[in-house]
Amino acid sequence: MAGTAERMASNQKQVAISEFFEKNKHFLGFDSLPRSLITAVKEAVDNSLDACEEARILPEIKIQITKLDSNKDIIELKSEDNGPGIPKKSIEKVFGQLLFGSRFHAIRQSRGQQGIGITGVVMYCQLTTGRKTHVRSKIATETSAAIVDIGLDTRKNKATKSGEGRELWELPDGTLKEHGLEITARMKAKYQRGRQSVYQYLRMTSIVNPHADITFVDPDGESHHWPRVTERLPRKVESIKPHPHGIHLGTLQRMCTESTDSRMTVFLRNNFSGVSSRAAKELLAAAEIEEKAKPKLLKADHYRALLEAFQGERMLNDKPVKLLNPPTNCLSPIEELLIKKGLSKTIDSRYVTTMTRAPTVTQGNPYQVEVGLIFGDGMAADKPVEVLRFANRVPLMYQQGGCLLTKAIESVDWRQYGLDQAGGRGVPKGPAAILVHLASTNVQFTSEAKEALADNAEVIDEVRKALLEMGRGLRKHLEKKKKMAKTQEKFELVNDIIPAIAAKAASILDRPVPNLSGSITRIMGAVIAEPTTAWNKETKQTDVSITLFNYTTRARSYTLLASWPERDGATMVNNEQGGRKEATGVWAWKLDTLEPGQTITFTYSLTGLERGDWTDTDIFYRGSQEVIGASKMDEKLLEEIRRQEAATTGEDEVSQDEEVEAAPEAVSENNAEVPAKTGQQTLMGFGGDE
Amino acid sequence: MMSAMHTSEETKTALHAVVEEMYDKIVKGEPPTMTLPVRTKNNIGFDDKLGVYKYGKKRSIRDATSLGSAKQLLRALHVVEFIEEMIDAGKSSTLREMYYISEAWGLGKFSSQNESNNLAEDLEVVTKCMREDFKLRPEEDGARMIGNLTLRERNRRGEWMRINARDDVGDSGYGVPYNVEEEKIELLEHDINFIMAIETGGMFDRLIENGFDEAYKCGLLHLKGQPARSTRRILKRMSEEWDLPVVVFLDGDPWSFRIFASIAYGAIKTAHISEYLATPSATYLGITADDIEAYDLPSDDLSSRDEDALKAELSDPRFADPWWQEQINMMLELGKKAEQQSLAKYGLDFVTDTYLPEKLADLGLA
Ligand SMILES: Nc1ncnc2c1ncn2[C@@H]1O[C@H](COP(=O)(O)OP(=O)(O)OP(=O)(O)O)[C@@H](O)[C@H]1O
Ligand SMILES: [Mg+2]
Repeated sequence: MAGTAERMASNQKQVAISEFFEKNKHFLGFDSLPRSLITAVKEAVDNSLDACEEARILPEIKIQITKLDSNKDIIELKSEDNGPGIPKKSIEKVFGQLLFGSRFHAIRQSRGQQGIGITGVVMYCQLTTGRKTHVRSKIATETSAAIVDIGLDTRKNKATKSGEGRELWELPDGTLKEHGLEITARMKAKYQRGRQSVYQYLRMTSIVNPHADITFVDPDGESHHWPRVTERLPRKVESIKPHPHGIHLGTLQRMCTESTDSRMTVFLRNNFSGVSSRAAKELLAAAEIEEKAKPKLLKADHYRALLEAFQGERMLNDKPVKLLNPPTNCLSPIEELLIKKGLSKTIDSRYVTTMTRAPTVTQGNPYQVEVGLIFGDGMAADKPVEVLRFANRVPLMYQQGGCLLTKAIESVDWRQYGLDQAGGRGVPKGPAAILVHLASTNVQFTSEAKEALADNAEVIDEVRKALLEMGRGLRKHLEKKKKMAKTQEKFELVNDIIPAIAAKAASILDRPVPNLSGSITRIMGAVIAEPTTAWNKETKQTDVSITLFNYTTRARSYTLLASWPERDGATMVNNEQGGRKEATGVWAWKLDTLEPGQTITFTYSLTGLERGDWTDTDIFYRGSQEVIGASKMDEKLLEEIRRQEAATTGEDEVSQDEEVEAAPEAVSENNAEVPAKTGQQTLMGFGGDE
Repeated sequence: MMSAMHTSEETKTALHAVVEEMYDKIVKGEPPTMTLPVRTKNNIGFDDKLGVYKYGKKRSIRDATSLGSAKQLLRALHVVEFIEEMIDAGKSSTLREMYYISEAWGLGKFSSQNESNNLAEDLEVVTKCMREDFKLRPEEDGARMIGNLTLRERNRRGEWMRINARDDVGDSGYGVPYNVEEEKIELLEHDINFIMAIETGGMFDRLIENGFDEAYKCGLLHLKGQPARSTRRILKRMSEEWDLPVVVFLDGDPWSFRIFASIAYGAIKTAHISEYLATPSATYLGITADDIEAYDLPSDDLSSRDEDALKAELSDPRFADPWWQEQINMMLELGKKAEQQSLAKYGLDFVTDTYLPEKLADLGLA
């Protein structure tokens, strides 16, 4: 993308702004009236989220769209955030100067990348309505907010401003705004509903930004609110240096000419990730460049040779120079639990499963794949599932068919996981939505419009793997649901229907109601476990109750085990039955012998969780007779989990020691081996009967 | 002729036996059950004595080990209770009314009308009683009849009314009530040589307009498609009590064949009461498969459903005789079916002037 930016920068000098805009509007996102509005919203929201993330502020974003003249499609967009604001002296540059972006040179995962963003919106407004964009900015260290109208002189290609001043920014409740930015822009645009709409864009944005509170007031004055579901800010994104495998010739050239390093070895070590001093020497040897050569003075041939050495085309002793992988801690995945929350917030449904893969590297670029699936009521069962695509937390709303993420979904045979899919290919059908998020320092798009991800065999494979694993979770869920429905039926049978039959038969024959226990035992012929997990509004705890029924003709004794989210910071309270810990997230109770027809119920609560964090408790048993509603404990698996646990604790210590000087390769390997973080994920593997 | 009806006490005792089976099972510590004959074509056999098809020996046990069949048992109990209440109160209800009344039965309520109809039949089969004993009426009204025959019907005030089905009725004929047992209808006298049962209303009206009943001294009975029980029952009574031949005039398609089988030998669903409903002496007049060719009738291609129905009929014991096997195979070969009214190709009078006289002459009836 750097090439594009440079080209645009030079373009900007040569052609009039209007011409520039006309030529590039398709990839600036202003090629149609409905899309222009979405683009403008997107630029504003992206900036707000980026700014808040950088300043470690929990974002509160408000978007309001008003139709000013429905005949001429004139729309006013107002966007407000609670970010750090922009100092007065920078406002003009940010909004009036192309390519004034603070993160343009840094390589790391962020939404804004080019520094055209918001200036493009200002330009578009100027060109379509002739009006300036009103900006109000408040920074924490000043009492008043700076206001200014920014426009563009289309003939001189220069920013213009007017109405500069200061004012007190009063909030509706009478208090003063602490910090934040507000933009009021007037443009020719069209408000639409549907799959490609401002509404859908904000909805998707809220899914992948569970820490943001977003309000949208649509042109009808209707207000939509997506509340914050976590107080946790996304992990701070670290900048990393480019990796030799991902560098382009132009960038290499620029880096060299701008470098003040005295010699090439230093230049390579200081400006690239994954290059040790030995690797630097070897690269130079392979490229036949002197170690002490000054980067600034390199020749055109040298760049090419060095690039070839980077890519392993020029070898040393018939072997490509070995480079370390770039560090992957620069990525900011959303993480499973938060995707879960984000998904269940905007789609009200029962079953959500998510999967975050360990970060990995393709062509020198760290990346990480996350997928989520929501399944259940309220979604159309006979339509293709909704595909929610994201790159670096930015919703992708166009060109679904041509996108790598869609192709990965289409390549999975979803029939084996319980969804309809003609011929086992294509987007599956069913009451579900599938979310795919790619986080990467260098997202490759199919075109400059940045709407679809370009093919990459490694990435597609990684997405597929995540989807398959998630699919297995879905299948297990559906199987479990089926089993539970069956158990539920049996309960209805013996608790309601059989007693009703006995009572009615007795009354017709005018005889006493017979004792039912014999019939019931014969009908059930099983031991049944029934766990319920429910959020308690009063105590703000998750209450779990487990009941075991012995509907057999013999006495039975069991040890019951239950999964619980210990890894997510939950604490078990009011556990009167006692029991003991078997592994992290697995608790066990040895129960007294259950006589035929006898039932035992015990309860406990979980604290330290939020509503929706834990909705389903898996039950396992040790004992000879099968328990319906529970899985037989797989002792080997339990053993395995305990071993993994021991190993993980060990590794954690090692990586802490190494943190300062962590070799990038070690970091990524480390990450890859750490088992999935949530207890639910790990426990899904239990249950030897499947 | 014995009546199909049972006394109130007999009916109640029979119903109680069903309830006792369930009750006793529970007392023994077993799941409650209901035992009933298998009601498919695999379990019907020819009863030489009665000359009709009846259910065989195969029994199925519906036990309360699954939610579905347990609910069936509970519903059966509610229906038994409901019937007893009606018997005691001297009331009757339609099957549809019972379906709506079941709304108040909680766990025992029906989820479809079909379910309540089937359960009423189940109870008939196990108790060997008839729907009329249960005070349950079908929804469909009975058939229409025209011809010089006289009967007595007891009206709602309990008075007997004498009706001649030619002189005392309008163009639509005498309407057959749902209960045609002796307590309700008595067959008095007639001056006809045979009875003709007709599938469609159009053809029935055509024959009346053309004065066919007078010209050929016959009674005409409109079946209204698949004939109601009362229609089959009155046909049987007339045929037996007056010793009259019965001819059946239907469309020429697989479904009409089934209508004939149910008239002559008994329907699979009501094989438990075949001896009351079936008229074994009935003869199939037309439209036959060879009529389609012989009279060059306008015809339609058989659909795949039609073909499946014909193939199923080949293995149906009621069609086991050579004549039917030939007709069915012929229709399959032709791949065609034809309606009664396709005879109009040759004019409105063709059916009464040519087709029927020719067919009846073959049987020695004209
Ligand atoms: N709401 C805001 N709050 C604080 N700072 C902002 C805000 N919006 C923009 N900025 C600052 O202005 C800079 C320029 O924003 P702009 O949208 O033009 O470019 P960008 O976000 O860096 O890249 P892109 O072209 O991808 O949007 C940002 O990098 C940021 O430093
Ligand atoms: Mg931006």
